[in-house]
Amino acid sequence: MSYELRDVSRRYGDGDTAVVAVDGVTLDIDEGEFVVIAGPSGSGKTTLLQLLGGLDRATSGSVLFEGRDLGTVGDRELAELRLGTLGFIFQQFNLVPTLTARQNVEAALAPRGLPGRERIEAARSLLVSVGLGARAAHLPSQLSGGEQQRVAIARALANEPRVLLADEPTGNLDSATGSELIDLLRRLNAERGLTIVLITHDTEIAASAPRTVRMADGRIVDGATSLRAASL
Amino acid sequence: MFYLGYVLAELRRRKGRTLFTALGLAVGVGLVVTVSALSKGLDNAQHKVLEPLTGVGTDMSVTRPLKVSGSNFTPGAGPPQLSSKEQNQLRQENGGGRFGLVQAAKPGHSFSTDRFVTATQLSFPESEAARLAHLPGASDAAASLTLNAIHLSGRVPKRTATGGPQFFGSGPGGGADPNGRPAPRALNFNSRQLTGIDESKPSLGLVSPGQVTSGRYLSTSGSKYQALMNVAYARRNSYHVGSTFKLANHTFTVVGLASPPLGGSASDIYVKLTTLQKLSDRKGRANAIQVRAKDSGAVDGLAREIKSSFAGAQVTTAKDLADRVGGSLVDAKNLSGKLGTALEIVGLVAAFLIASLLTLSSVAKRTRELGTLKALGWRQRLVVRQVTAESLAQGVLGGLLGVGLGLAGAAVIGAIGPTLHATVAAAKSAAPGPLALFGQGQVSSGSTTIKLGVPVDVGLVLLALLLAVAGGLIAGTLGGLRAARLRPADALRSVE
Repeated sequence: MSYELRDVSRRYGDGDTAVVAVDGVTLDIDEGEFVVIAGPSGSGKTTLLQLLGGLDRATSGSVLFEGRDLGTVGDRELAELRLGTLGFIFQQFNLVPTLTARQNVEAALAPRGLPGRERIEAARSLLVSVGLGARAAHLPSQLSGGEQQRVAIARALANEPRVLLADEPTGNLDSATGSELIDLLRRLNAERGLTIVLITHDTEIAASAPRTVRMADGRIVDGATSLRAASL
Repeated sequence: MFYLGYVLAELRRRKGRTLFTALGLAVGVGLVVTVSALSKGLDNAQHKVLEPLTGVGTDMSVTRPLKVSGSNFTPGAGPPQLSSKEQNQLRQENGGGRFGLVQAAKPGHSFSTDRFVTATQLSFPESEAARLAHLPGASDAAASLTLNAIHLSGRVPKRTATGGPQFFGSGPGGGADPNGRPAPRALNFNSRQLTGIDESKPSLGLVSPGQVTSGRYLSTSGSKYQALMNVAYARRNSYHVGSTFKLANHTFTVVGLASPPLGGSASDIYVKLTTLQKLSDRKGRANAIQVRAKDSGAVDGLAREIKSSFAGAQVTTAKDLADRVGGSLVDAKNLSGKLGTALEIVGLVAAFLIASLLTLSSVAKRTRELGTLKALGWRQRLVVRQVTAESLAQGVLGGLLGVGLGLAGAAVIGAIGPTLHATVAAAKSAAPGPLALFGQGQVSSGSTTIKLGVPVDVGLVLLALLLAVAGGLIAGTLGGLRAARLRPADALRSVE
């Protein structure tokens, strides 16, 4: 089991102004699963993804990743986890605007302390694998939205993570580019056995996914059980 | 290496912010460089003014001035009052208060005579110098004798109402006798100030070899009648090196011209001490002693020792002289001391503030970027280090720009070349009013104009760079702390 979430809530603020973004979610995700979390805006998808990625901590309940409760793990260990095990893709791409495509990928490799030449070669190779070998020296502002997102994918894959967490990765792309991106993620899931959790409100993507978890008002309304558990 | 590349990329691709921050630091640092250089220039100018008495900061001058009652002399309010004891001493000093023409020549005959008088200093045995040189804290001492040589020449009138010709030496051209009748018109009168110095101790003399502008210093082995002449006096009277002049029926040769600096005892002519003692009938007498202390720490104690062991002595130290320096030099020094320091502090605080605010603003604008780095697995320490390094780099850039600005500012001031005026007042206890006409204070009043230099040395440049780097470090630390507080989830939620 990759993830086990038990009665997880995330509340912002206190008293009358308190907002419950995630409300009592229980969810299992198996290793190698391709899970799409769908739902309208404000349903708590992004908050749930941040809890899965150790970017935020649950107000109550437990988020277990490979048996470890992320709520009790220290900041330093969480950073280690994000560096070596988890990969992130964001809707806004979140590339560093002053760094080239290659340097953006290097930004994920640098904390591992790889020697310069090895790091540069690894970054180039990752860009080639997403079809951007020729654009390595370009700044994000010189790339299209689709190209930027592919740089972000290369960066997310830099440390060979076991889990890829994608927050509406097609949100800023046209439908053709979005489809290409989803195909790329599916290939990665199939070829490398990567666990992928993808957030979207695109119904087509949700419909074509092996497993879709639907959320509304911070709760899971469908798909909380993993495919393997469901088949037992 | 990646991190350095990241820093350089940030500086290069965010040019506006980088330049603005660096310029903010540069202005503050440039201000420090310029004001410090200006202050150093003023220090140098002041040192130049004070050099004559200070030497290495250990010299002092000892005199025995007449005691005048009342602290201030008011012009037109009558002469200052001397006690009868002091009046007697002065009379003895000068061999009587007046001299008559009867002694000079027979009525109707020509005469030419030199008289040596003092007005404000009493003499004492020259041996006092040797005694002072052996006091604790003293290194050496040299005696000197400063007198006014009054030259009278003309023809003695055949008869006067009082039965004999008389002349009261009260002013140029003869003035008037006690009954208000005009003095004989045939009399010529002039006065010049002479100082006898111990030529065997040139470094302690009231004029030193370093002040000789042409010719040479008095030699110990040469003629008894050699003289050094004040440049200004020589110019007024058309003397030059090699000229001769008569004094007390002896012919003196000008061997050198000297330019006594401000604050020195500026006599017209300097001769050998023994020669002047003999000519003025003051054998073995002196009226000033220059004393050198062993080190600057011994000056105050030695001055006290001299005052307690030498009745009526006045000791003037370099500090006393410094206290009497006035004029635009002092005004500028005071201004640089007070306003300059304030300007430096305000400039630096403003520069640090600008750099810190811009760094904080930059961190706020880069919230999502920094949050993304944390999401990628960057530890907090790494993010803080990155922000601080960028700020430090801006500090170095600001320091270099600031040094450039400071050098430019110093160069502009140097090119304008402002001149400062320094004046040295006479010693407070020297006799004021008419008595001071003879200029017998041990330190004469005077003024000088000095061109202001604005030196920038390596130490100042390093200090400027250090300040800029410190500014960058402060800004970076503040920015880094702000970045450290960012929670990745909040950072990723931020809308840029």
